[in-house]
This record gives sequence, structure tokens and C-alpha cells, in this order.
Amino acid sequence: MIKASEERVFELIAAYGAEPGGWPEDERDAVKATLVADPDLFAEALAEAKALDAALLAEQVPDFDPALADRILAAAPKPKSAGALASILTWRLPARRWPAGATLASLMVGLVSGYAYAGNTTLVTYDASDEVYVSLFGEDTGLTWLEEGLVE
Amino acid sequence: MSAESEIEQVRRAAAGDRAAQAALVHRHMPVIFRVSYRLLQDRAEAEDVTQETFLRVWKKLSEWEPRASFSSWACTIAVNLSRDRLRKKKPILMDELPEQIDHALQPDAELASNQAVARIETQIAALPDRQREALSLCALEGMGNKEAAEAMGVTVHALEGLLGRARRSLRATLNVERDR
Repeated sequence: MIKASEERVFELIAAYGAEPGGWPEDERDAVKATLVADPDLFAEALAEAKALDAALLAEQVPDFDPALADRILAAAPKPKSAGALASILTWRLPARRWPAGATLASLMVGLVSGYAYAGNTTLVTYDASDEVYVSLFGEDTGLTWLEEGLVE
Repeated sequence: MSAESEIEQVRRAAAGDRAAQAALVHRHMPVIFRVSYRLLQDRAEAEDVTQETFLRVWKKLSEWEPRASFSSWACTIAVNLSRDRLRKKKPILMDELPEQIDHALQPDAELASNQAVARIETQIAALPDRQREALSLCALEGMGNKEAAEAMGVTVHALEGLLGRARRSLRATLNVERDR
């Protein structure tokens, strides 16, 4: 067992008192070993320290206001998840931004649908082979040809 | 409380968990109040400092690092806030000191016991600020030497010196009274 020096034991009793629980944890066992080895040497210092420890126990501090905890908790951080979502929504869709947002959305819908409609029309009405056919054989349709055949 | 559960409690409190916040307040507020009261010797001011300490705690909670215990971190804030107030109070302090009670005029046993309590409190209050801080954290709140030294911003060696001087001074007063 490692023992603390006598000088160190006196220092610790003078600083921390007679209670081993108050001594530094990493030196406690070494101090106890020194005390056990020569109890008479430290008896007076321990008795004086004990008297002061007892006097300190008598110290009283007034009670605090029972509402103090409530006041402190009222200022505590609020849950973040709901607040963060709300702030994102507020930033994305603020009331004052609705007119500008709606205008932009209408413009986009118009552009997209207009582009799609124009593409379909071109595919249905324009065919280069039709033009060649008409220039060679004139205006003709399958229906006219069928009607003539039926008459014959 | 284990270090891990304290870390978890602080993490939940920082995220807005009301139960964790309440647990932190109920666990640490009395210590912070007592430490502040011993330094300031004024209940209302100690309450203000306690509240202000937690305001700072709430603000910095997400930045707290477990290298120091929550208790010593909070006490560091409280000690610094109390020191600031003491610095502002110092010039007028002498005019505001309460009159000392004449203990010799009250012979009743219960009163005598109350006087003994009042005496030790008066003696603690009369210690130099740093000695009072050291005594409050270690001897009266049972804080470990490393924790207390960190809360005060001094070395463990310096803390022991302050504690030794504080106790020597109190012991001398006790011996004088006992010899009367």
C-alpha cells in the first residue's frame, strides 16, 4: 500500500477537513494508510478539523422562491422539430408571396401545356408525303374513290 | 448520475425535451442558488444570478462538452456572474453591511444554537471572496477538488491553498469564541 507523506496528510486535513469523503479521490487510500500507521500524530489536527466540519454543517441558506424553477423553465429551449418544419413552410409559402407564386405557376402551366399542344398539332397535320401525293394525283380521298367504285 | 446519462439528459434538454429540462433544473438549481447566495449574501440577487445562469445554460446547452461535468460548468457561470455583481457592489458594500448581533444578550438555549448558526454564517460571509468560493464549492457543496478548481478557474494547488486559509481563519474564530 502506498502511503502519503505526513506533510501531505496535514495539508489535506487542513484544506478538506476530517472526512475522508472530502479528500481527493486519487489520494484517499494513501492518506488513510498514513493515518492508520500513526494515528496519534494526526489526532489533534483531525479533532480540530472535525469541530469545524460540524460547525459548517450548521450553516443555513435561505429558501429560494418556489416559482424560480418555473421562471427558469419558461425560458428553456423549445422542441426543434415542429419549429423547424413551421419555419420551412413559412419561408417557402409565406402569405405575402402568394400573388407572385401564383403568377409564376400560371406562367409555367401555360408554357408547358402550350408546348405540348403545339407538338401534337404538328404531328397530326403536317406530313411531307401528303404534299407529294396531292401534287401528283390532286385532291383525293379514299372515300371518293370508294364511292366511284360502288357506282360502277 | 453517470456521465453517460448526464450527457443524454443534456442532449435531450437541448433538443427541447421538457422533462429533461425540468430534471436539470431541479437537480442543479438549488446548488447554483446556494453557491450564489454565499457569494452575494443576498437572496434576491442570488435568485437573479441563478435565473441568469440558466438563461446562459439554455443558450449554450447544445455547445456543452462533457469534458467538464454539467454541475461544474453551471457553477462556473454562476461564480462568474456573482463575481461581476460583487465587483459592482464593492464600493458601497461597507455602507450596507448589517449590524452585528450582540450574542451575549440572548441566553436561551435555542437562541444560543441559532446564534451559533448565525455566527458561522457571518464568519463565512466575512471571508475573502475567493476563499468563500472555494469553501462553498468543496466543503459545503461537496464538489470534487478538480471540479471546484475548474469552476473557479484556478489550479487544484491554488484551490487547496484557498481552502486551507479559509478553514484556518474559521477555526481561529471558533477557538477564540470557545475560549471566551
